[in-house]
Amino acid sequence: MALKIIETCVNCYACEPLCPSKAIYEAKPHFKINPRKCTECEDDFPDAQCASICPIEGAIVDSLGAPLNPPGSLTGIPPERMAEVMAELQAH
Amino acid sequence: MELPVLNEKPAASGCSAGSCGSTDDQLNHLSDEIRAKVENHPCYSEDAHHYFARMHVAVAPACNIQCHYCNRKYDCANESRPGVVSELLTPDQAVKKTKAVAANIPQMTVLGIAGPGDPLANPERTFETFRRLSDEAPDIKLCVSTNGLALPQSVEELSKHNIDHVTITINCVDPEIGAKIYPWIFWNNRRIKGVKGAKILIEQQQKGLEMLVAKGILVKVNSVMIPGVNDKHLAEVSKIVKAKGAFLHNVMPLIAEAEHGTFYGVMGQRGPTPLELQALQDDCSGDMNMMRHCRQCRADAVGLLGEDRGDEFTMDKIEEMEIDYQAAMEKRKVIHEAIAEEMHSKRSAKADAHAQFAQEEKLQTRPVLMAVATSGQGLINVHFGHAKEFLIYEASPDGVRFISHRKTDQYCGGDSTCGEAESALQRTIRSLEGCETVLCSKIGYEPWDMLEQAGIIPNGEHAMEPIEQAVIAVYKEMAAAGKLEPSNELERASA
Repeated sequence: MALKIIETCVNCYACEPLCPSKAIYEAKPHFKINPRKCTECEDDFPDAQCASICPIEGAIVDSLGAPLNPPGSLTGIPPERMAEVMAELQAH
Repeated sequence: MELPVLNEKPAASGCSAGSCGSTDDQLNHLSDEIRAKVENHPCYSEDAHHYFARMHVAVAPACNIQCHYCNRKYDCANESRPGVVSELLTPDQAVKKTKAVAANIPQMTVLGIAGPGDPLANPERTFETFRRLSDEAPDIKLCVSTNGLALPQSVEELSKHNIDHVTITINCVDPEIGAKIYPWIFWNNRRIKGVKGAKILIEQQQKGLEMLVAKGILVKVNSVMIPGVNDKHLAEVSKIVKAKGAFLHNVMPLIAEAEHGTFYGVMGQRGPTPLELQALQDDCSGDMNMMRHCRQCRADAVGLLGEDRGDEFTMDKIEEMEIDYQAAMEKRKVIHEAIAEEMHSKRSAKADAHAQFAQEEKLQTRPVLMAVATSGQGLINVHFGHAKEFLIYEASPDGVRFISHRKTDQYCGGDSTCGEAESALQRTIRSLEGCETVLCSKIGYEPWDMLEQAGIIPNGEHAMEPIEQAVIAVYKEMAAAGKLEPSNELERASA
């Protein structure tokens, strides 16, 4: 049982000092979680700390690959709206 | 220490300082003690920003809140707005960069940490940078800008490091409004959304403001004006923060474009027009000193406000520079004294010109907005086509006051960009909405004609003259030519 940081991470450092298991480390091209140390904060906090401060939707996933912060959950932008606007921008 | 009560008079009725007929200088309302502290700070003194430069070092990537005008996927060399940086620095790199810039741009007086996240959400990196700079470069003023969430717990540490200026961004004092600006905060190990999160943020901001004032640290408050969200609310914010002792309020326009990927940008929330912003700043100025020359710069900006010389100081270039900071400090001292002298002599020349204007028979004409192309020193010294921005001044029978700056798309950028010259020129002219004349050192035939068609009179006759004097001269010419019908505004202002 461990969380994972994926490539959409922007390297903002916010999660690293919060991890109670010191499982998060700076790496290239982005921060990583040592799966042997990660406990998903089970015994320490009600919510996984890294996923509670991470500003990037989808950047932290569980062992099944499901994002802890799915699209729209942090920015409040409905995913359909985001897709529509991005398509519009690319058309120009 | 108790901070004095600030400007009680609406700006439109003129400057309250006896020595000055000018209505533009926000510093006139401050005590001598505060004035001395901010006199060479480009972000706090409109006057100083023509002469002194600032820089930001991007050492603080983490943030503890989300704002709807911010996108945390910051990394763009071509955008100039808060929160954007190209190169994140370690404290050691930041110290090197600061010294390199200070040695090469001696008019740089201020080092700020402003992001790209929240400086106080990165306490180790932020305070390590401050600690080393107050030791190794004691002639540089240090300041920090924060969303305020972690402020109360940081005040003690802030007061240790030569930091006498803190900026807090306060967009609201009402959690219901806050919930429309801040989708979440991170607090006590939890992400807290909506009104509940906004309420905690507001409490911490207000508490932090009070604690800083109690410590004698100068506080400026920044607010982002978001039409339909907090625009009607900011006059109240202004009153409250002034009552608590903030010395300057800076209302900035929302920047929101779809391509920035921010909530407001994507959802189509618009920013205020220049005239809406000006009206709100005028509203708030009845209650306190307003700052109008903010350029909303990047978290790694370098140079005079409105310019960014960051490209000259990338880490690979800095690593190759040999800096003797002791020698640089001596050189800087001489240059700062010379600038201060020049500033004071210009300031008294300006005051004399205003005094003379005030003694003349008072005009009964309406106010006029004028755009000015300048690159500093308080002079009209930029070619219309080279202006990256225009400073907007209002001339009225009460004198001249600085209103704002407006960015342009530089239309005359040389060969490669000339394909789109026309549309860029048209955009520039549109950005001058509300202005009746534009003062610059020179101007080409094509923009001259287009400006005239847009009802804006180009004027290149005051090249290299001091801005305020030239604005008064042009205003008097317009009045003499009968172009300015009497104003009802005046009666309202003096009523």
